[in-house]
Amino acid sequence: MMKTFNAWLKTIIFYEILIGMKATLGHLLRYKPITLQYPHEKRTLPDSYRGMLALLRYDDGTEKCVGCDLCEAACPSRVIKVISAEVPGEPTKRYSKEYYMDMTRCLFCGLCVDACPVDALGMTREYEWAVYDKRQLRLNKQQLLAIGDRSFPVREKRLELQHPNVAFFNVAFRQMPPKEG
Amino acid sequence: MAEVGLKLAFSLAQIAVVMGIVLLTVMVLTLAERKVLGWMQDRMGPMEVGPYGILQPIADGLKLFFKEDIIPAGANKFLFSLAPILSLVPALIGFAVVPFGPSRTVELFGYQFQPFVISDINIGILYILAFTSIGAYGVILGGWASNSKYSLLGGLRSAAQVISYELNVGLAIVGVLLLAGSLSLVKITEAQAGGFWHWYVFAFPFPQIFAFVVYVISAVAETNRVPFDLPEAESELVAGFFTEYSGMRFAFFFLAEYANMILVSCIAAALFLGGWNAPYPGTLLPENLAWIEGVVWFAAKVYFFLFLFFWLRATLPRLRYDQLMRFGWKVMLPIALGNILVTSIAAYLFPKG
Repeated sequence: MMKTFNAWLKTIIFYEILIGMKATLGHLLRYKPITLQYPHEKRTLPDSYRGMLALLRYDDGTEKCVGCDLCEAACPSRVIKVISAEVPGEPTKRYSKEYYMDMTRCLFCGLCVDACPVDALGMTREYEWAVYDKRQLRLNKQQLLAIGDRSFPVREKRLELQHPNVAFFNVAFRQMPPKEG
Repeated sequence: MAEVGLKLAFSLAQIAVVMGIVLLTVMVLTLAERKVLGWMQDRMGPMEVGPYGILQPIADGLKLFFKEDIIPAGANKFLFSLAPILSLVPALIGFAVVPFGPSRTVELFGYQFQPFVISDINIGILYILAFTSIGAYGVILGGWASNSKYSLLGGLRSAAQVISYELNVGLAIVGVLLLAGSLSLVKITEAQAGGFWHWYVFAFPFPQIFAFVVYVISAVAETNRVPFDLPEAESELVAGFFTEYSGMRFAFFFLAEYANMILVSCIAAALFLGGWNAPYPGTLLPENLAWIEGVVWFAAKVYFFLFLFFWLRATLPRLRYDQLMRFGWKVMLPIALGNILVTSIAAYLFPKG
């Protein structure tokens, strides 16, 4: 009896609505916006942020890419196109003669970076890549290297202890945990 | 002849001032709504145009003014153009009888004028109800003439909603009219002078608190605001009856909505909360400055209601259509009728002074 009376009372004084209005008024009085005024202030990105892709160089300025095509194979959206060629005068070494990325299709999964045996690909923290013409998003090797140059000013040392033909294997294994014993 | 000319000039000046204030308030409201809504939802609202976004209404106005005015294919051109005007004019014309400040007369060149009300006609509230009903035509015709399914559905919903809730507005007001014994807004407000216990929400012999609640809810429904914004339900009908409108015609509907909000707030303040009367007896300022106090109190009450509109919008979800109709006819209408009955008995048992 008391219970039904209380329920009835709550109905006629709009109890639930008043609770909700109290909540909204509380937010108004304790105004603490979570908005970031984007173009004026930008959030700090995490270290592992997966932004624009870039091609990297060694500290002596040579390209890391050995033209192995593994990134092209790993890419789920077929963003990457590599045209591989021999390094002129060094028949055992290869490099990417041409390297294209169609960033309109890229979904920033990072599989190409994982697939690269010589760590020639990197993901930068650039994300402001809105353009008026989407053809500008088809990047060639020079553009990708330029992105890498401005995003990774500290370059990796070229490994010298190994024979240059097998250097990239060691680079790949370096990320593995060290063997026990 | 001179008298007519002088009266005409004074009336025109009054109309210009009132329209200016109303349109300025609309501008302020468009910004205030977005700001208040933002703050309540932990956002900032518009921030880009001017410091803290205070020039946003001007930017919006300019944008709407220069936008292309499209008449959709297959639309009835005459009605399509007529509907926004039919919607805006009744919303603005109601302000003719709203008293914004104390009813005093000033003598100008030997003639008497009332500065704070454009025309104190003796059927004031009836006049407002009549004209706001015409506003529904604008919505329905606009919805029908657009040749679009969303607009038509929005217009139909609006027709049913406005008609059902206008009835409740009318019936909720009757209690106050019984107590005041007048239809003139000036006389009704004057009858509530002398402290907040004389306001009709709390007044002896029978407080009109139920009528007040019914009026406020119905007013929200009548102006098509959340939670009764079914005619323009964004998530289902794009924008309801003004889906196909753009440019200045869209701006007219927009102005009409906000002008209607101000109008129902003015009526609520004048009828239930004592209009320009302060909640304490008399005035604090000396006699010749008392009008400032009155105008400020009236504005404060109106803005309280406008804030309530925003507050409800930030809080409540939209009603379903059958809920809306059930609420209007089965809950609001009986309460309003019962209020009339009890108020008439109380007014009969305790006749005025």
